[in-house]
Amino acid sequence: MASSWLGYSVLFWFYPFVWLAILSVTQWQFIGTPRFNGLYNFIGVMQDELFWKSMLNVLRFLLYYIPIVLVASLLFAAGLKRIKYGKGFIALSFLLANVSSGVAYSIVFSKLFSEYGPINEFLREWLGFAIPWFTNPDCAMLSIALIVTWKFVGYYGLILYSGMMAIPKDIYSAAILDKTGRFKQLYAITLPMMNAQIIMVLVLAITVAFGIFTEPYLITGGGPLNSTTTPMVVMYEAAFQNMKPSWAATMSIIVAACSFALIWILRRMFEKNIEIV
Amino acid sequence: MKIFTLVKWTAPVVLAMVISGCGQDDEKTAEQDATPIKMWVAPNENEEAFWNAMVTEWNSLPEHHKVEFTTIPAASSSEEAIMNALASRTEPDISSNIFIGFASQLNEMDQLIDLAKLPGYPQLIENRHMGKIVPAWEINGQKNVLPIYINPIVYWWRMDLLKQYGYDKVPTTYQDIYTLSQRRADDKSGYAIQLTAGKNWWDRWFDFIPLFYAATNGQAYIADNKAQYNNAQGETVLTFMAKIFANKWSSYDFTAVDDPLATGQVMASVRGPWDIARYRKQYPTILESIQIGPMVTADGHPQPHTLADSKGVVMFKSSKHQTEAWEFIQWVFNAPEHDLKWLELTGMPPAREDLLTNSLFTAYLGHSPVEKQIAAFVANAQPPAATTKTSEIQRSMTQMIERTIFSGSAPIEALNQSAAETDKLLGQ
Repeated sequence: MASSWLGYSVLFWFYPFVWLAILSVTQWQFIGTPRFNGLYNFIGVMQDELFWKSMLNVLRFLLYYIPIVLVASLLFAAGLKRIKYGKGFIALSFLLANVSSGVAYSIVFSKLFSEYGPINEFLREWLGFAIPWFTNPDCAMLSIALIVTWKFVGYYGLILYSGMMAIPKDIYSAAILDKTGRFKQLYAITLPMMNAQIIMVLVLAITVAFGIFTEPYLITGGGPLNSTTTPMVVMYEAAFQNMKPSWAATMSIIVAACSFALIWILRRMFEKNIEIV
Repeated sequence: MKIFTLVKWTAPVVLAMVISGCGQDDEKTAEQDATPIKMWVAPNENEEAFWNAMVTEWNSLPEHHKVEFTTIPAASSSEEAIMNALASRTEPDISSNIFIGFASQLNEMDQLIDLAKLPGYPQLIENRHMGKIVPAWEINGQKNVLPIYINPIVYWWRMDLLKQYGYDKVPTTYQDIYTLSQRRADDKSGYAIQLTAGKNWWDRWFDFIPLFYAATNGQAYIADNKAQYNNAQGETVLTFMAKIFANKWSSYDFTAVDDPLATGQVMASVRGPWDIARYRKQYPTILESIQIGPMVTADGHPQPHTLADSKGVVMFKSSKHQTEAWEFIQWVFNAPEHDLKWLELTGMPPAREDLLTNSLFTAYLGHSPVEKQIAAFVANAQPPAATTKTSEIQRSMTQMIERTIFSGSAPIEALNQSAAETDKLLGQ
């Protein structure tokens, strides 16, 4: 059993990883053997403006995404906690978004949020204005954050729900006896005791942020003004349109390192060991 | 213990692969002459129908070396599929659906045969009346691609709507567009023109580049490894585009509407011959009111240049059937009847200069007024620049247009910035 897992890992993880490392220090264009060129790729990628703009876009995305998805998931989890009947059905309905085809919902959302799409037509008719969802450099990333929130709210919500359910009820009973208000209960008891689950959601969110491809590629094409270009889009174009797979391999190593660093910083700053004594 | 178990399981597998691999090489040399010529074609039902007819006829004659065609394997683009095939050494002998930018990349990697060096090439060019067309397809002194078709980029105008504004001929100048746009805005009925085709880099083939060709009488936008589009004419074109968006006379985003031309939201848009079949089925009355218009220019001069959305056939250096494959290509393209069949099946003008003079084609075009009008632009259509950095350069052009629309940059500044980026990409 263990040896078959090892064999699988060697083939599907270790070998591509070694090839990635080789590509990052060589020059290769799909044909022939890679030619060693030292740190040339790393120096080149460090000076690539579009790549660093895309990394900045990931941070901008996280700035919108994390608060929105946390609040939405918490609301979903709290709502699920209160519902007596049909919990499974509701959870499944929200989870459907997570398993939907990225291409399919990207096309649907691009039509929904289009300048003359149904949402803007509704806003124009009832409120007299339209929102430039994807045609404004500042708004476009927010729109993508909303779409990705829709995708993950069920998944993160279930994680937070499990955290909520694990909090012993007697702590709340004690708080009520001390005449603690609802909001104070939330940020003094609920949120701190859900620390592990919240950190998990944040780690997943950061991982998702660095890996976004389908939505910017299909909906906005990386624009307007490169405001929604993500590292994966840059890597894809570098590898398959500009015929520079070595460049793309180097970028992927840097992206992995940055995402690891960000997660490490997040955990150092916010992760706490919660014990119920 | 674990390592030993792993070795125990993988060693026999590796050994088996090595043995079978050795065996296959010995058999290959005996088999290679009998294998058919492998051809890849565009994954498009009309083009498949054409190649099916060609290959069936070719294969029916016993003296011909058999040809086997398949569509380019499914990938996000033909280029990606071909690159994967080259990397895994499973590429075909010949492939169609190659545009000049990709051919440039393949030329740089020394993967293509120079067709001009093959016997019978000059006769083929003369027979097919391609003398003026092929020079634009030269890549580093080589002719690696034989263009199959040329779709000139033109505007489809809704004459039924234009007549309402008192126009009985298609507009040809920037001023016409300004006037029409203002009138459409005044009666709140939509836009005059869909100016930009989209937000992706390939959409520049349908807006900035053809307008630039029209303004400069076909001057290349990349020459001597430098950007040439930040000149006076480039500024005129971008100023025109900027003015349209500054006055909100067109939208940058037509994704929601299925076809703004069909719904009347715009009176003109870039469409291709492939849309003729679609319009015939879905909007036959609108198709009757369509008239083809050229790219607009400042002075409206007649027969302006435009971009040729054009693809061709290449032969890979690794092919073991170069002589036979070249015979097949010559056989297909030396006969004008085959080009007529192409025109009938796909609606796309074949890459030849005699479409309006050869009775074979004029008889067919007489039945389809839209196709006949499109064919009139073939002579003035040229392909995009032969560069290996097509997508990066056009990405830069997209940024240039977006800077004028969203950041309000002056056209000449946006042009100069894009030209500087392009020069850097080209190694200046």
